[in-house]
Amino acid sequence: MPAAASEMLVGASSDFLTRFSPFNRMEPEALAFLAERATLAFHARGSEILTPEMGQPTHFHIVQRGKVQARQLGPASVTDYAAMTLGPGECFPIGAIAAQRPSTNAYVAVEDSFVFQLPAEDFLRLMQMSPVFQVFCTQYIASLLNQSRQQLQSTFAQRAAEQQTMTTPLGQLVKKAPIFVTPDSSIRAALEKMSEMRIGCMVITDADRKPLGILTQSDLLPRVVLPGIDLQRPIGDVMTATPHVMSASDSAYDAALEMATHGVRHLLVVDSEGRLKGVVSERDLFALQRIGLRQIRSSIEGADDLEALQRASRDIRQLALNLIAQGIGAEQLTQFISALNDALTCRIIDLARAKHDLYGIDYAWLAFGSEGRHEQTLSSDQDNGIIYVCPEGADPSALKSRLLACAKKVNEDLAACGFPLCKGNIMASNPELCLTLDEWKGRFGDWIREPDPQALLNATIFFDYRVLCGNERLGDQLRAWLNRTAKAYSNFLRLMASNALQVAPPLGRIRDFVVEDDGTIDLKKSGARLFVDVARILALRADVASSSTVQRLRQAGTRMGMPAEEIAALIDGFHFIQLLRLRSQHLDTEHDAPGDNRIDPDTLNELDRRILKEAFRQARKLQLRLKLDYQL
Amino acid sequence: MKWLTRLLGNRTDTASLDAALRDAIASWEALAAPELGSTHFETRYVVVNTEATGLDLDKDRLLAVAAIAIDREHLSPQDSYYAPLEPDAATALTNLLTFAGKGPVVVFNASFNRSLLERALDERLGLTPDWTWLDLHWLLPALYDEHIDGPARLADWMKAFGIETFQRHHALGDAWAIAQLMLAAQARARALGLNTPRSLADLEHSRRQLRRHG
Repeated sequence: MPAAASEMLVGASSDFLTRFSPFNRMEPEALAFLAERATLAFHARGSEILTPEMGQPTHFHIVQRGKVQARQLGPASVTDYAAMTLGPGECFPIGAIAAQRPSTNAYVAVEDSFVFQLPAEDFLRLMQMSPVFQVFCTQYIASLLNQSRQQLQSTFAQRAAEQQTMTTPLGQLVKKAPIFVTPDSSIRAALEKMSEMRIGCMVITDADRKPLGILTQSDLLPRVVLPGIDLQRPIGDVMTATPHVMSASDSAYDAALEMATHGVRHLLVVDSEGRLKGVVSERDLFALQRIGLRQIRSSIEGADDLEALQRASRDIRQLALNLIAQGIGAEQLTQFISALNDALTCRIIDLARAKHDLYGIDYAWLAFGSEGRHEQTLSSDQDNGIIYVCPEGADPSALKSRLLACAKKVNEDLAACGFPLCKGNIMASNPELCLTLDEWKGRFGDWIREPDPQALLNATIFFDYRVLCGNERLGDQLRAWLNRTAKAYSNFLRLMASNALQVAPPLGRIRDFVVEDDGTIDLKKSGARLFVDVARILALRADVASSSTVQRLRQAGTRMGMPAEEIAALIDGFHFIQLLRLRSQHLDTEHDAPGDNRIDPDTLNELDRRILKEAFRQARKLQLRLKLDYQL
Repeated sequence: MKWLTRLLGNRTDTASLDAALRDAIASWEALAAPELGSTHFETRYVVVNTEATGLDLDKDRLLAVAAIAIDREHLSPQDSYYAPLEPDAATALTNLLTFAGKGPVVVFNASFNRSLLERALDERLGLTPDWTWLDLHWLLPALYDEHIDGPARLADWMKAFGIETFQRHHALGDAWAIAQLMLAAQARARALGLNTPRSLADLEHSRRQLRRHG
């Protein structure tokens, strides 16, 4: 008989839930599972339901009746809202409970509220048993991911805004004719115009075009949508009166400062008579920064002394910071850095060649390691070498000393430009690394035939070579030979594989992450390298010429028949780890501390932790593949 | 009332019940009385509700009983009980005792529910539970006087809190609403420093006294 009662009450709960998404789309058995296990609790107005201090959430909550407000706490704000109100049918926390980490929000009942709760382990089971619920949660987290990128942008916006390049007068920045309405226009008409012209804000002026107010997209929710304002009412009723106004002769820098000071995203630019000339948005200021790329590039190419190159090198770092502020992804960012560093290195070589004549020598400057993979971060030291061909009849040792002398100058100049000398002496000025094509083949061949631990370690550095300047064909010839040879020695690849599996992703069974004694994770050793090492092996097997990890995964993966979405997930995982590395390096550089690839997962916000965990899972997947291939 | 049923002789003797029911009653009787001085969080309250042929205690009969536990200030749909008295009233009531244990028991409008239930228990099982009864009819206006400042109907309290239920005037349907009201009552009581079942009983007692004298 007790069954009858619980069936009725479970039925009542599931009837309630099916009034809301995603529960109305949920599989019947999953819904039943949820309704059977959800218990109901009451939270008086003002009481805290869940806070970060409560640690890992033990329950998933669904509001049955009342209102619960999510408030952001602390500096690590994940989303772009300060507070968000949840009503009946809405649930929390999704990210925190899925990642099994303390919530970043405080959830407080703002009315007397009845809230269903589901134990955390049942939430996880529900995700497993219900594809609909899984998709719901994933999409929710993905939307947070988007917001996280925005957050990254705003973290750097302040510093980006303080750029010395921003001396352009605002009058020049304003490109479009201003769009405005008078205060008696209806809200509807103004919104239609905004939508039609695809603009983020509407300026309200008087008959003389003098600004009276502004209405931005972010004002719409609190002032128009939520209060349910009649759209026929005049826009003057909802605009922000006395908007921030700047003169056309003020600089972009002034504008950035004004925005930062007042926390606004749009500024009105007026002419000398106070009439509206246009609108400058935060985005326009960011766009301005992009000019920097071309400027730096041309300043590198036109530099004729070390001092000019040193300035350019500082600009590259500054630019990297700005690019992050623009929300650029790790892949493009490292490509930019590497393109500019390449240009810088080539210019240094050009200048050195002016003093050290290399005329008649067929050579190429090689970059190894991370630089060779286009994955250079800002704290990478030099890893370079030379490949050349000794023409018949030339004196080999005289030729080599000419190359070495030039290389020494290049290494020193690079050091002066902020690329530290390699402690392991992996530099072109080392006679061991300034070799002819045949000598390189001999060197590589020795490692492949006799893969002792040192040989395997060397392979991980030198096989990722890339021609930075000089005769590219020399590099191609070596690559073709290398791929052919490595493939023939399956024992070598097997040992490379077993080496690559030495370090496991730092995923814990009990805790999220396995950290080292100082509480940190080495994102290079236990993160990026896991992808890099497997990608190298796959590239050798699939005969991929590229030295970049992403290209290797993409091309080799496709050749080996890995599903496209699986490859994309791997690459995303790798990029995220690279992004975290870059981010910590940038911030460290600001504090004059060397970027050292270490990250304390506890300092990451909830969302980043969750993505990092997923990135490590991708690394594990990649390793597992290798394990199966080689029966390791 | 009790003397009348006894006089009329239709009172069931415990001895005439099934062995299984007798055992169940014996183990219920052996249960320790609840600690009325512990906190709400540590107390398992049992919301009890009845369904009758009408509202006249003298004429109407009990049709069904329902109960929902509030454990650790939570309602769990699984922790509930419902049984019609037909065809086997003795079993329905014995199972109610087993479910409710030694209380404390929460009702809405004890003057009707308690009387009806105690009469049935006495008739069918020959016992009167020594439960502590808490009546939301008195407690709610004492705790939430900003909503309604005096005894009111269940429907009014449901409206005040926006509470819905799947079936009104059904023993379990109403019990579901009463249980939600009890959750609200617990939270407010805690906020007022009334942390135990005993303090709720005292509050109810003083309310009744006030009403009598006022």
